[in-house]
Amino acid sequence: MSELTLFILRFGFLAVLWIFVFVIVYALRSDLFGHYVRRGADTGRDRGDVVLNNEAAGTAFIPPAPTAPTEDPARTLLIVAGAREGLEIPLESDQLTIGRSAQSGLVIRDEYTSTNHARLQLWNGGWVIQDLESTNGTFVNNQRVSVPTPVPPYVPVSIGSTIFELRP
Amino acid sequence: MSPSTTDHHQTITEQLILRLRIPTKIRNLEAALIVFAMLINAAAIALVDLGATGSLDISILGFIGGLGAIVMTMHIAQRFVARDADPLILPIVTLLNGLGIAMIHRLDIAQGLTGWQANASRQMVWTAIAMVIALVVIVVVRNHRSLQRYRYVWMLVGVVLLIMPLIPGIGVTISGARLWVDLGFVSFQPGEIAKIALALFFAGYLVTARDSLSAVGTTFLGVRWPRGRDLGPIIIVWLVAMLVLIFQHDLGTSLLYFGLFLVLMYVSTGRAIWFVVGGSLFGAGAFIASFWLDYVKGRFDGWLDSFNPVIYDALGGSYQLVQGLFGMASGGVIGAGLGAGRPYIVPLAESDYIMASIGEELGLVGVFAILCLYLLFVSRGLRIGFNGSDDFGRLLAVGLTFVIALQVFVVVGGVTRVIPVTGLTTPFLAAGGSSLVANWIIVALLLRLSDTVRHQNQAGDLQ
Repeated sequence: MSELTLFILRFGFLAVLWIFVFVIVYALRSDLFGHYVRRGADTGRDRGDVVLNNEAAGTAFIPPAPTAPTEDPARTLLIVAGAREGLEIPLESDQLTIGRSAQSGLVIRDEYTSTNHARLQLWNGGWVIQDLESTNGTFVNNQRVSVPTPVPPYVPVSIGSTIFELRP
Repeated sequence: MSPSTTDHHQTITEQLILRLRIPTKIRNLEAALIVFAMLINAAAIALVDLGATGSLDISILGFIGGLGAIVMTMHIAQRFVARDADPLILPIVTLLNGLGIAMIHRLDIAQGLTGWQANASRQMVWTAIAMVIALVVIVVVRNHRSLQRYRYVWMLVGVVLLIMPLIPGIGVTISGARLWVDLGFVSFQPGEIAKIALALFFAGYLVTARDSLSAVGTTFLGVRWPRGRDLGPIIIVWLVAMLVLIFQHDLGTSLLYFGLFLVLMYVSTGRAIWFVVGGSLFGAGAFIASFWLDYVKGRFDGWLDSFNPVIYDALGGSYQLVQGLFGMASGGVIGAGLGAGRPYIVPLAESDYIMASIGEELGLVGVFAILCLYLLFVSRGLRIGFNGSDDFGRLLAVGLTFVIALQVFVVVGGVTRVIPVTGLTTPFLAAGGSSLVANWIIVALLLRLSDTVRHQNQAGDLQ
């Protein structure tokens, strides 16, 4: 075997060694850089639109504006994206806590959720979400909330990599 | 993601299928990466033969294939007993282990060792034994919390293992350090196994004692010090570790236990004061020891004044360290190539100085790749600890991972003259059966912990 072939083989070996390293880094990219949240949020919004059109109802897809007080408050919470996608939770009491802690009403265990992340509360006939000083924030319709914010039905609320909507 | 979120039942079905598929996806990724790692290992062996002798040795490649079969068995076992285990740890470790065997084989060729005389043959047998033990651990230990119950048993086991080499008759002194036990049919370093027992003990003990450790105590110098009765068992272990330093002449092992103790104290109580106090205590102790104890002094002199001809030529001087540095320097950025350097000039090139051998033949690029592999391994381990659902699991994962990380730092730091040389083994790479067995058990425990973490998170997401 010639010197040149051997040299190329040696060089190739180092390259392959690094490829292995990068393959592993690629495999854990979601760990390093977090999930690709934008896409999930968009899907959530699309879905809201689809459902809205189907029902042809007057419930507005209005960003944080509160719904008309005459309307009944939403009765279910539907997870539209994230690990628990498709799950429906009946909103029976007038308060639901969300977070990583096992005591929460809705337990979301991912790396971006705080122990006590947010609280959903029934207030004046509408649901209001309050961020409990979480590290990564609570987003209503893609906007981070700092004060208690009304959550109308069909508006996506994202916490960590989970997105949910309220349904009447 | 189907647009039919309104059809609730359908999405639930989809979700179930998704959940059944995820572990398979993880395991498939693991299988692919293991095959990749084994191919690199085979290539490394082939390149060693081509570079050093110019011809291929088929028998060694056959053995490597056999080891690949054992790794695959472990992988298949995980599909049944640990479906959610971390998929990256096993491939990383397989690659490190294989690269170590390739390098040891390369040094065997240089020293003319063949058959069962060869270190590589023994290393491969030990790897096989270690993998089988890891397999047994992962199959037998189904729930890591059962390990917590036996925390004082672990303490006893750890202390006994540490003291074992001092027992006359079975203890053996090799190159100044009394670390070995010879039972006639097999000789091993009990200290390697002791590190796992102690990690188990520290984790198990600190879970129960950490509240009183961080909350109760008298304030002195602005810091609240824990009560003696809370600290008792830990002080016993710490004293034993210090005895190791004095009587077994082993700076590395005592540094390892002391570091493990400090890290777990810090992690469980969340108070950085442990680091400040512990670090300065160890530093002061080692500094004083450098005047007191000849072998520590020799290590310090060899480190600070390596190129002094007197120290270079002295018995136990800096000859080995400096030759290792020369080797790495001649390797340069891309290295001399596998089988083309002269790493055999360095004494103990196949065990203590394997990083120098790799540095010479694979160059800076190769050394960094290997350090990256360690980094990824450690990041996975800490991740498992971070995601852990119970305190014992968290502490154990952090402790076991830290043992590996500290060993890499101490060995690579020693070989590259960042810190004084201490006698620790490079995890997975260096020739040595006890170290391989211990590190593979750590791998098995981390895999078990990661399986529990993900499994619980899936089962207990919604309550």
